[in-house]
Order: sequence, then C-alpha cells, then structure tokens
Amino acid sequence: MSDSAKLSHTAALILQTVDHGCSYGFDIMDETGLPSGTVYPALRRMEKEGWIASQWEAEKKALAQQRPVRKYYRVTRTGAQVLEQSQRRYPLLGKLSQKSRR
Amino acid sequence: MPDEPKQPWVVSVSQTLVRAAAPLVPAGQRDDWLREWHAEIWHRWQFLFHTGEWKAREQWLLLRNALGSFADGAWLLASQETVRSRISGIARSPFTCLAALALILLTIAAMSSGLQATRGMLFSQMPNKSGNLTFIWLHHYLGGGDKGLPGDVVPAWHQGSKSLSGVAGVVIRHDHVSFNGRIPSDDPLVVTASPSLFNVLGVKAERGKFPPETGIVLNHRAWVNLTNSRANIIGSEMKIGSQSYHVSAVLPGSFEFLSHQPTVYLIDRLTYLDKAFVVARVKPGVSEDKLRKELVRIAADVTYYYNLQGQMRFATWREALLTPLYSFGPATLLASLFAWLAFRGSFKQMKRAFEPENRRAAVRRLSFFIAKTGLGLACVFVGCLEWSRSESSVLLASRDPGSGPLLLWLYVLGTMGVLFWSAADQRARCRVCLRLMAFPVRIGCPGCLLLDWSGTELFCSEGHGLLHVPLMAPSWDEDADRWVSLDDSWKGLFAHDK
Repeated sequence: MSDSAKLSHTAALILQTVDHGCSYGFDIMDETGLPSGTVYPALRRMEKEGWIASQWEAEKKALAQQRPVRKYYRVTRTGAQVLEQSQRRYPLLGKLSQKSRR
Repeated sequence: MPDEPKQPWVVSVSQTLVRAAAPLVPAGQRDDWLREWHAEIWHRWQFLFHTGEWKAREQWLLLRNALGSFADGAWLLASQETVRSRISGIARSPFTCLAALALILLTIAAMSSGLQATRGMLFSQMPNKSGNLTFIWLHHYLGGGDKGLPGDVVPAWHQGSKSLSGVAGVVIRHDHVSFNGRIPSDDPLVVTASPSLFNVLGVKAERGKFPPETGIVLNHRAWVNLTNSRANIIGSEMKIGSQSYHVSAVLPGSFEFLSHQPTVYLIDRLTYLDKAFVVARVKPGVSEDKLRKELVRIAADVTYYYNLQGQMRFATWREALLTPLYSFGPATLLASLFAWLAFRGSFKQMKRAFEPENRRAAVRRLSFFIAKTGLGLACVFVGCLEWSRSESSVLLASRDPGSGPLLLWLYVLGTMGVLFWSAADQRARCRVCLRLMAFPVRIGCPGCLLLDWSGTELFCSEGHGLLHVPLMAPSWDEDADRWVSLDDSWKGLFAHDK
C-alpha cells in the first residue's frame, strides 16, 4: 500500500497506540511520551487520510458525571491495514506491539 | 466521590493558551476544537488530582502540552486549501525569490560578524611608509600550489639587496599556546617571523618593545583572549608547544596583518628548513623585473641549489588583499561564457521579446533577471570570501585553505551555479507576471518522439499562459520551449484562485 510509505515512525507509533486502546489525545501523549504539538497534528492528518475516525462520547453519560464530553479516536479498517504495513516496515514497532499485547 | 476541587491557576492558564491559539483554527472547526482541548485539559487535571499526582512537574507538563495547541491550530490552518494555495502563490512570486536571496545575504553577514573578511579586504590600511609593501613566495613550475621560500634567503636579501629597504620572513601555523596553565579551546595562529617584521610593516608596539632576537609579540585580540587583557603582560612567560618564551610586546588594536584572529608572533631566526613567506619593502621606482633578477642572483649566491628563476611570485599588499576581487571577475566571465553556450537559444529569443509591443514586459523580465543574478552573485562572492578568509585576510603561501586556487574554484563553481540557476528559473516563470509556473502535466509518449511531441506542460497559476517544455529538443531548434499566451476566454478557469 502506497499510504504506508508516507507514515513516519512517529505517526506509526501514534496509530499503534490508538489501536491498542488509547482513545484520547492526552492518553496517547502519556503512552508515547510525545508532546501535544506532535500528537494532535498527527491525529488530524491520520483522520484526514481516513486511517482513524473520531467521535464525541455520549453527552448523557458525561452530563451525568458532571464533566465535559471527550472526543475519542479509533483505528479504521484502512488504518489497520496501514498499521500492519508499518509494523512490517518498522520491525521494532511490531515487536513493541506484540509485547504490549502479552 | 471527593469534593469538587477549585480550578487551579495552571488549568486556567492552559485554557487561556488554548483560547489564544483558537483563531488559527478555521472557523468551521473552531468550536469542536476548543471543546476537545478544554475537555482534555479538564480531564487531565481531574485525573491527576484524584490520583494524588497533581504536582509541580505535572502542572508544568500540562502547560507545555497546552502550548501544543498552537502547533495543532497552525497545522489545521496550513492544511486548508485556500491557505495552501496562497502560500504556494507567495512561494512562486518573484518578490519571494528576491527576498530569499536577500535573506541569504543577511544570514552570511550575520554569521561572519558583519562581513569581517569583506570589510577587511576593502578597508584594511597598513601604516604608511615609503616604498611598496610586497609579498614574495614560490610557485613551482610543476604546480602543487603556492609554497614558502627557504628561510635562509631572508637574511641574505636583507644584507645584499639594493632594491629592498627591509625584508622579513613569516611561517604560519596553528599551535598549542598556554598562558599561566590556561589553554584556549582552539589553537591560535602562530606566526614565526624574523625580528625585522614589524620594522618592515612600519608598526609601533602599544605595550613593550619588539624583541631584537627571540620573544613573543601578541596582537591585540590575542592579548585580550589569551591573557584576559592582563596589564603587566610584558615579561610574562607564554608556552608555544613545549617551549617557553617571554612576551615582549603587544600590538595596537587597529593593526591587522595576515589575520583578524588572535595571533601570536614568535620572533626568531628562520633557518633553511623553514618555508617562509617573505614580506618586503621595495624601494620606490624598482621594477618587478629588476627586483626578480636581483633576488634570484642573491639567492643563488647564498646557496647554489636554490633555483628560484621564474618561480617567484610577487604581489603588493593591496594586490594580495584584493586578490578575491580580481579573481571574481574572471570567474564570473568564465561562468557567463558557459551559461551563454548552454542558453544561447534563449538569448536569441530576447531580440523578439524586445519588439515594441512586448517591450514593457521584456524590460520587467530583464530587470528581475538582473536583480536576481546580481543578488545571487553577491551571495557567492561574500559567502566564499567569508568562508575561505575566516582566518587569513590576504593571499598567502601558507596553510590557509582559502589561498590561491581554492577560492578561484569556489568562485567559478558558485557563479556557474548562480547563472545556470538564474537562467533556468527565468525560463520556468510566467512571461507576464513572473510567477513560477505550476501544475506540470506530462504529455505524449517518450518512446514516440519521432512521431509526436512529448514533454511537459506548465501553467501560470494566474492564467496568463502555458509553457511547453519538450522532453528532448534538437540542437537546431531554438524555440524548443514554447510559450502560449492564454486569452480572456480562459480566465473563468482560474477565477477560483483570485
């Protein structure tokens, strides 16, 4: 897939982190150690490319807990394919993925 | 659930930062964007507060991450189609090209302490004294660059010459210098010179006296940098390599010779093993030919194996200093010749361009070409000079990497690069608005060159015309690049860009 060629190691790491269940921007920063100025633009770009999709959580739930609603991200089917390609391209990323799954 | 904590100032500042970055975000996305950032900051604070981790380090990190909203906003702004096309329009504009070249020039000036070498070359003054200050060095028949003369010819010329009123030899190198156990991070320039050097140059010491035999003379910058401007420096010990010497004199701040860097002059007798660069005062009215004959004869008398005939080079102080200026002219001429050969077809088209109906546009194009090339050449001249002469001010037969052919080669390559780029850039610009052409489209089949036209078509983003650039052009076809003007009927197609 030609898309994977455009994915840098950092972007692939972010995509993998979202795939592992970190759905919010600040959680991704915690997990990857990357600053917000890197994580958010990467998320915007990946969303534009269709590799991840964003959604606001249910407002009812947030209101009940008296807190603002959060936007969460999830990996799309295309994104999963791009991630698979990237893990082959960056073998250490793939190993990291296996480790964190264990 | 614990009591709701009062919102701390760090959270308020973080949210203010996000609000400050919000104008960068396109209006349609702004509300959602603000909501997301505010929610993330709020949740981060709540999470840390309830887990007991709300500490100074985490607060600082939250502030830092809030600053990231500017990068996020800027990315969203730059990813907009209208902004991107405006940025690309600015990048293609002729004014951007000129501004970029001016910026390069300013950067060179800033990186070279305000064009130190260029100023040194143009405004450097030596103390006035009768006779011409002249440099003499050796350039072998078989090439191999400039070299010094055997050190023992210096006293022989001093005693035997009737054409010289003074002569001294200098050997230049970098060496370890230490003063009071302090060793500077970079080895300074050490110039081993005959005792008569400062007499030949006609300079007086600011402090102390010049040594008649052996001793050290510091230039003003070396005195400041190596000894911290120590007042009672005269008579102090200074080490060059493993040998100790006494400091005898300090030169005035206005004096500059060979280099504007901190320089330590080691006054000592030169031997035949030293390859010395000679500085001499030639008496008024002595021709170079007469001087050459006399010096060769004396050198041959001293040691029969010195065959200096035809190998000695002479340059006056001013000539040596202005060598970069003299070598830039021929380098530019040579580069212009190559550029003319490569682009002579385009030059022939200039005749047509200057026909009365096109004259105004042609003058604009020519003015832009001259300004662009002039600025580019200025960048090459100043850049090469500042880089190669960062140490030494004059052309020397020394270890100075900027001496002789290197600078000339830099100039030839640099000017060729500028002229070729300038001509190619000019060709790739719109004939009307001078913007760089865009939207390249490959036309035709490269394998069918004999049957059909194959190449690239470029459009002016303002809709003034299109340029055909063939994949291969026969050498006899001077109109290989074809410019096709687009009339008003095409304007609608480009309306969205306005």
